[in-house]
Amino acid sequence: MTIASQSSPEAMTASPPAAAPATPDRTPARRRTTLTRNRWGYAYVAPFFLVFGAFSLYPFVYTAWISLHKTSLSDINGGTWVGLENYRNLLHNEFFWNAARNTLTIGVLSTVPQLCLALGLAHLLNYKLRNRTFFRTVMLMPYATSIAAATLVFSQLFGRDYGLINTVLQSVGLNPIDWEGGTWSSQIAIAVIVTWRWTGYNALIYLAAMQSIPGELYEAAEIDGASRWKQFLNVTIPSLRPTILFTIVVSTIGAVQLFGEPLLFAGNGTTSGGASGQYQTLGLLMYQQGWSNFHIGQAATTAWAMFMIILVVVGLNALIGRLRARADR
Amino acid sequence: MATVTFDQATRIYPKAEKPAVDALDLEIADGEFLVLVGPSGCGKSTSLRMLAGLEEVDAGSVLIGDRDVTDRPPKDRDIAMVFQNYALYPHMTVGENMGFALKLAGVDKAERARRVAEAAKILDLSEYLDRRPKALSGGQRQRVAMGRAIVRSPQVFLMDEPLSNLDAKLRVQTRTQIAALVKRLGTTTVYVTHDQVEAMTMGDRVAVLKDGVLQQCDTPGALYDRPANVFVAGFIGSPAMNLVTGPAVEGGVRVGGAVLPVPREQLARAAAGNGQVTVGFRPEAMHLVGPGEGVQVLVNVVEQLGSDAFLYTKLAGEDTDDVLHPSDVVIRTEPRSAPAMGEKLWLGVREGALHVFDAATQQRVE
Repeated sequence: MTIASQSSPEAMTASPPAAAPATPDRTPARRRTTLTRNRWGYAYVAPFFLVFGAFSLYPFVYTAWISLHKTSLSDINGGTWVGLENYRNLLHNEFFWNAARNTLTIGVLSTVPQLCLALGLAHLLNYKLRNRTFFRTVMLMPYATSIAAATLVFSQLFGRDYGLINTVLQSVGLNPIDWEGGTWSSQIAIAVIVTWRWTGYNALIYLAAMQSIPGELYEAAEIDGASRWKQFLNVTIPSLRPTILFTIVVSTIGAVQLFGEPLLFAGNGTTSGGASGQYQTLGLLMYQQGWSNFHIGQAATTAWAMFMIILVVVGLNALIGRLRARADR
Repeated sequence: MATVTFDQATRIYPKAEKPAVDALDLEIADGEFLVLVGPSGCGKSTSLRMLAGLEEVDAGSVLIGDRDVTDRPPKDRDIAMVFQNYALYPHMTVGENMGFALKLAGVDKAERARRVAEAAKILDLSEYLDRRPKALSGGQRQRVAMGRAIVRSPQVFLMDEPLSNLDAKLRVQTRTQIAALVKRLGTTTVYVTHDQVEAMTMGDRVAVLKDGVLQQCDTPGALYDRPANVFVAGFIGSPAMNLVTGPAVEGGVRVGGAVLPVPREQLARAAAGNGQVTVGFRPEAMHLVGPGEGVQVLVNVVEQLGSDAFLYTKLAGEDTDDVLHPSDVVIRTEPRSAPAMGEKLWLGVREGALHVFDAATQQRVE
């Protein structure tokens, strides 16, 4: 979001100079009219950019400023200038690397199944079903559920002693799992919550894109001898490629910022992410630094590191998309 | 290569009251080029899609060769189809589009490349094989769609208005190319169009449909010379046949103030319904006669085409200011000596060129 809106004012100011070098004798008049016209244009877009500046750009830049200071939560403006030292510390901080690793694994564990499931669901919902609207509404319900409610219910399900899942495991003769205690088990459990919440949302996006694929393509494929599965691979997936790229970007951003689920998973809202930080994400680490340890400068640094990671990931995605588009030409 | 048979094939869409295709009986010979033609909503595309397996058959059956394919999926029918908007796979190159069916059929790579190259050569697409459809012109896309069909050497080609997305000039050119190509390949072809000129110029035989019912299926010449009913008479030919309904009187049918002569026995059978008879005469079947001998008309509009001129005329005594119906009778004349607007003419119908229909049943009476 932020990135897209930042680039747009540049794109707008770029166009008028291109129009200016016209016939020389008429230039003054032309310039005056474009200016007048532009003034109105700027007036119309101003409200958005004012709000954007006050609530997005300013905090954004201010966070960067704070990250260059050693400061505490109670006295944000009174910190001492330390330059890039917070960043140097962060890179040598084992908690940061632990959180980064956890964020990556939980991200992969949730994003991949989430998007695959969403594709499959959308494909099924794309068939002519009875009560289709009902199913579509149901799919969006997890998304509409608050993180807190969903996580608390899931932490009951994943409970070690009386959790439903362990009860089922035991009833079929398997050992119960200490979901919260283990590294993989806790991360899988959190990934399940994230997947449950976001699958329907992504499925709806895929479904909308699928409905814009012309039906003749499927008929042509059917006559060419393609089975349903081959039609899915050769018609649906290629047509959805831009949409899939979009959902990957959005889910990745969500995964890097993961916060609510790991915070509430143990049921007590601790920022440590488990006894040994086995599911502490970057978001949790940032909160812990700033609001538990009161090192707001360090927290701002972590926030910027998260932003950089998102930039790199989104940039990579855009690059892949650009390369694919070039190959398609 | 194979014959195609529709045997009482019927399609009723869910919730529809009338069948979209009603008990269609049609025998298409091996190697024949059959055109299904009719106004929109007549069931011609539905018929084609029933043959393709894209539409269910609710009653009756469809056969390709001796095989009953009524309940077979499209891929088991050995057919290839050209769609109106071509339905090319946008993410595949021209070569991949054309070879996709072969790839799915498990044809090995070398053989596939050979057959695609061969088809591309015929269609003059060799230099575009690595392009994607969106980098091609409309005419080139159309040829890729054709190529995708011929690469497979199917038993039957199905074409659903393949020319309607081309501009007028290219359409005429491509029309000839398709006809020549299909002749050369000798593959049985079923071709759907709403354009009767296309139907007449391309088809070995033409089947005219209306409201899901087959009206007549015959060679273009026979359709033109002996239309089976009023609908076919009015649909085939451009400009359309003049159709006028009048009461049967002694010696013929009264049209305007005059009587067009019809043999006694034919007249009696045609008037058996309600005493009214519909007579039809083509624009080129008229000639000028002396005053008082034939039907008197007033020239309302003159269309100069260079090779011909068409006179749009009103029967004498009718309202000539009715702009929505500027004409009762269209006449083709020599362009150099065409009468002017506002002139009064006396017309006769050439010997044997009068079509007679029962006004009640709309059927042709010989």
